[in-house]
Amino acid sequence: MSPAATCDVRVREIEPLAPGLKRFSFEPAHGGLFSTPPAGGHVMLTLRDGARVMKNAYSLVSPPAERARYDIIVRLVAQSRGGSAFLHHKVARGDVLEMAPPLSLFPVAATAKKHLLIGGGIGITPLLSHLPELKARGARYELHQLSVADEAAVFERLLAPFAAGAEIRVHGGGRAAFDMAGLLARQPLGTHLYVCGPRALMDAVSGTALALGWPKGKIHKESFGDTSGGLPFKAVLKRSGIEVEVGATQSLLEAMEAAGVAAPCLCRGGACGECRTPVIEGEVEHRDDFLSAEEKAAGTAIMTCVSRARGPRLVIDL
Amino acid sequence: MSDQGIKSRPKYQPIAPEPAGRHHLLVVEGAEVPGGALAEGVSPAAFEVWTVAHRSAVPGAPVMEEAAGAVRTFRSVPHLLGALQERLARERMGLRLYGAGTEPFVWDVFGIAQAAGLGRQETGFAHVGTQARRIFCVHCRAVTENVSTSIVTCSGCGASLFVRDHFSRRLAAFMGVQVDAEVPGEVPEAEELYA
Repeated sequence: MSPAATCDVRVREIEPLAPGLKRFSFEPAHGGLFSTPPAGGHVMLTLRDGARVMKNAYSLVSPPAERARYDIIVRLVAQSRGGSAFLHHKVARGDVLEMAPPLSLFPVAATAKKHLLIGGGIGITPLLSHLPELKARGARYELHQLSVADEAAVFERLLAPFAAGAEIRVHGGGRAAFDMAGLLARQPLGTHLYVCGPRALMDAVSGTALALGWPKGKIHKESFGDTSGGLPFKAVLKRSGIEVEVGATQSLLEAMEAAGVAAPCLCRGGACGECRTPVIEGEVEHRDDFLSAEEKAAGTAIMTCVSRARGPRLVIDL
Repeated sequence: MSDQGIKSRPKYQPIAPEPAGRHHLLVVEGAEVPGGALAEGVSPAAFEVWTVAHRSAVPGAPVMEEAAGAVRTFRSVPHLLGALQERLARERMGLRLYGAGTEPFVWDVFGIAQAAGLGRQETGFAHVGTQARRIFCVHCRAVTENVSTSIVTCSGCGASLFVRDHFSRRLAAFMGVQVDAEVPGEVPEAEELYA
């Protein structure tokens, strides 16, 4: 699948929510309405910072029924590869950006009897688009948001519209004061679990649920992968006959895109499997959620959006 | 006529406790766990077992232990299915449910499981005993039980129904279609196929 066609969007509003946390609201640059996004959906923004081009995925936090605007919340990351810093410091109201239309790898399960949502920090964002959908369906849901003490009030405020009569709790003490096993053990049959947050939280939640007998099919994770960069390396695209230098703050996918290669991609977070590429030579440092442990050990494929070479050189079949 | 090339017929496997499950409940249609229902080497003691005695003199069980190895006996299939609904309504995630018996029984259990929110990863079924079919008349919607022939008279409207291999999981029944719809009265000889 080739990268989706983008459309131009204008920044209609930027709202600081907390230090390092901003909500960006976009409208179609040429008027009209956006398409109805799927619950739990994300969009891909093309960010052009001088000569540097970044394509980052952000969860929509506006209600799926809202078509006049798409909202995202962006945390300014200290070790940012550039995307969040660019949005926080260089994008202003009225600016026009390119956006690929939303898609969801984190949809609401139609047959669930109950929905249990667990967010960690900025992982709240896709859950914020689930809540209006669940409310509209009259579905039974329960949400637990883990947070550092400083930000608890921000999350309380974001969740306030959905709090009436619902089981919604913000745990300002983080994981230490959160009885994860107790929560997962007392869920009725037919519950679906949705978790989004730091890798360690997602692993702990899904590991605990599996140990309590939850079937894999009822555990849904949304990950935007580990995009913290790493050591530079050289990628050899054997079929195309070109070599690409992957910088320390670049992903392999970004480096190939910068070289003009239309590499397959979809989620840009190591979740969907679209960018899976066969490896001919070289060792892979896997950072995705898609390949099984066996496939990772075999080392014959790489997810170019998040994973890197372990050594100085990687030959791939592209 | 015995293989109609229809792919909706369910396939079954001998039952083994799914390793990821927290608790395993096995419901069977008869008084005992039928031979052939469990996979080789699997003991009934791995499950909490519910059986049907098909008689009124069922020993009372004042306090039911909901644990592997426990056996609870019911007077009839409806008695068991009613209790199963109540049990699932108060169960927690982690349960695995298995059913062994005739096809109508197994799929009635599946319907109750599905309504309670259990998915395919949380259920397992074995078809043991008679191959006789429950037939759903597509014309009058009546159900005719225990059909072993290729053509049967509908218990609801009296039509001669051809027994198709088309199986409905929702109705736990095979489809019956009027066999003489085009030439009334032209009814082929019924064959004994599903004993």
